[in-house]
Amino acid sequence: MPIIEVTNLAKQYPQPDNKTEHFFAVDGVSLQIEQGEIFGILGPNGAGKTTTLEMLEGLIDIDGGSAIINGIDVSSNPRQVKEIIGVQLQANEYFDKVSLQELLALFGALYRRTINPLALLEKVQLREKAREKPANLSGGQKQRFSIASALVNDPKVLFLDEPTTGLDPQAKRNLWNLVRGLNSAGMTIVLTTHNMEEAEELCDRLAIMDKGKIIAEGSPQELILQHAPEPPEAPLHGDLEDVFLVLTGHGLRE
Amino acid sequence: MLTPLQRHLTSIFLKIFWRDRRSIFFSLFFPILFMLVFSFANNRDQQPIAIGIVNDSSSQVASDFIEMLIDSPLFEVTSGEVLPLREQLIVGEQTMVLVLPEEFAANVDDINSEIKVIVDAAQLAQFNLIMPVLEQTLLSIEREFRDIEPMFSIEIEDVQARSQRYIDFLLPGLMAFTLMQLAIAGSGFNIVEYRRKGILKRLFVTPIESRDFITAIVLARMAIVLVQLSILILLAVLLLDIRIVGNFFAYYLVMVLGTIVFLCQGFCLGSLARTQEAIGAIGNIVIMPQIFLSGIFYPIESMPELVQPIAKLLPLSFVSTGMREVANSGATLIEITPSLIGIAVWFVISFVAATRLFLWKEVAN
Repeated sequence: MPIIEVTNLAKQYPQPDNKTEHFFAVDGVSLQIEQGEIFGILGPNGAGKTTTLEMLEGLIDIDGGSAIINGIDVSSNPRQVKEIIGVQLQANEYFDKVSLQELLALFGALYRRTINPLALLEKVQLREKAREKPANLSGGQKQRFSIASALVNDPKVLFLDEPTTGLDPQAKRNLWNLVRGLNSAGMTIVLTTHNMEEAEELCDRLAIMDKGKIIAEGSPQELILQHAPEPPEAPLHGDLEDVFLVLTGHGLRE
Repeated sequence: MLTPLQRHLTSIFLKIFWRDRRSIFFSLFFPILFMLVFSFANNRDQQPIAIGIVNDSSSQVASDFIEMLIDSPLFEVTSGEVLPLREQLIVGEQTMVLVLPEEFAANVDDINSEIKVIVDAAQLAQFNLIMPVLEQTLLSIEREFRDIEPMFSIEIEDVQARSQRYIDFLLPGLMAFTLMQLAIAGSGFNIVEYRRKGILKRLFVTPIESRDFITAIVLARMAIVLVQLSILILLAVLLLDIRIVGNFFAYYLVMVLGTIVFLCQGFCLGSLARTQEAIGAIGNIVIMPQIFLSGIFYPIESMPELVQPIAKLLPLSFVSTGMREVANSGATLIEITPSLIGIAVWFVISFVAATRLFLWKEVAN
């Protein structure tokens, strides 16, 4: 039985230029994510990836369809869902003047837990930064700290929204290792990305989204087999980026 | 009772404030500066009035008169010639110059001796204060010489002994103003800042409830306001010799109630404003008129008749008036009922508006 079951999920917003008309940011998305998977949602900017995640996380209301995580309906029991998920948002700023250690203790308290902040920081290789303020961390360190803060409640599902955007290759690989480590310990991970290398390298299965809809789904290998353009006479390597461009077109997004 | 989470979050908010030395400094700096400036200005008024005396007379009365003026704490007397003293008068070093002419009281029986008084027109206000004193002094000398018992005497009371100084008036107002600033900053400005940084969103994906967040903000701010105001009271009492006549419990109760009202208003502002610029603008619309109209720096009664009814209804007016009546006149809680009712009405208005506007889900996103 899948740990996340999404059926016909929809979210509509008023048009930015004409408030009386609405458009679907997420338009009938259905997904089944298995326990212990790393599942990637791939798509250009504005495809509805973040909106989909935010509905699953209980951050925004679900306008249509349903989302069930570990048997709990997100619409009717958002707080119960929040107890069993960990979330890393795109923005990763925290209270000023509060150290990493203190922040993690606070996050623990939000789940009514007493946690060991140092052990958690150790897990994301930030043990020696325990007394630092988040403002003094590098981009990669900030992302790792965000993940640490999402782990305080031992979540069954971890949501990562563009976890490696803006990171250098070293920091990116370091973060992939962290995610793999968490996954091999049994955690289900759902992430969004527009980094093809990340999708191919890290994800067990992918869904490609565009204009609020899922337009392809499968393992990276399946997607390449199905959608990559036929290699030309002079062999040219078809990779996932080709898949992405073929499916979503070359048009520039916002 | 508080949940462990509410306690934890409160302590985090207190830590954030305590570690932000710059904002502690600024929230204390201006009230203290105002207090010092006005108490200094106040003390200057009580300094003796500088007068110059030119004694062309050789009579006993003249020298006795000068002797009495020198002895008087009200005057600082410089004796000298007309011309240099005149110069000093022009540059403002003297308030007035008295010239006792040669024929002054040459004959004790001659009542019509005249004193020439040289003043600067700009100092006329002071002149009106000084003349009665001079007349009184001359009169008493005259009586002494004529050996008649005075029918009555006027005792000139030292201004210092008057119960109400400007600084006494100012302190409760300044405290009410500081309380409003701290409260609105604590809920309004901080919420906008936390939202801009995405912190509220991050909190919202945890099982936190809005009442946990609100309770922690209110408790932390209340503690901050009470500590800051206590520091101001302590400084005022120790350094500026300000007396708080009324009951401290009543004084603090008005502060606590006022803080709650302004915290609610802060929650409203923080929910309405999406950006730091917006809260700056609408914050000023709420704060600025109250600084000038709520009787912080001068009594509401001294304002134009037209403005007074509106000014009296402002929330800060009720808080500052209530605090002032307790501090300056020793009013009891029952005597400041009108202010308490005003605060209560504003609490109801602000609380209802805050619960309508501060929707956790909307504010967090």
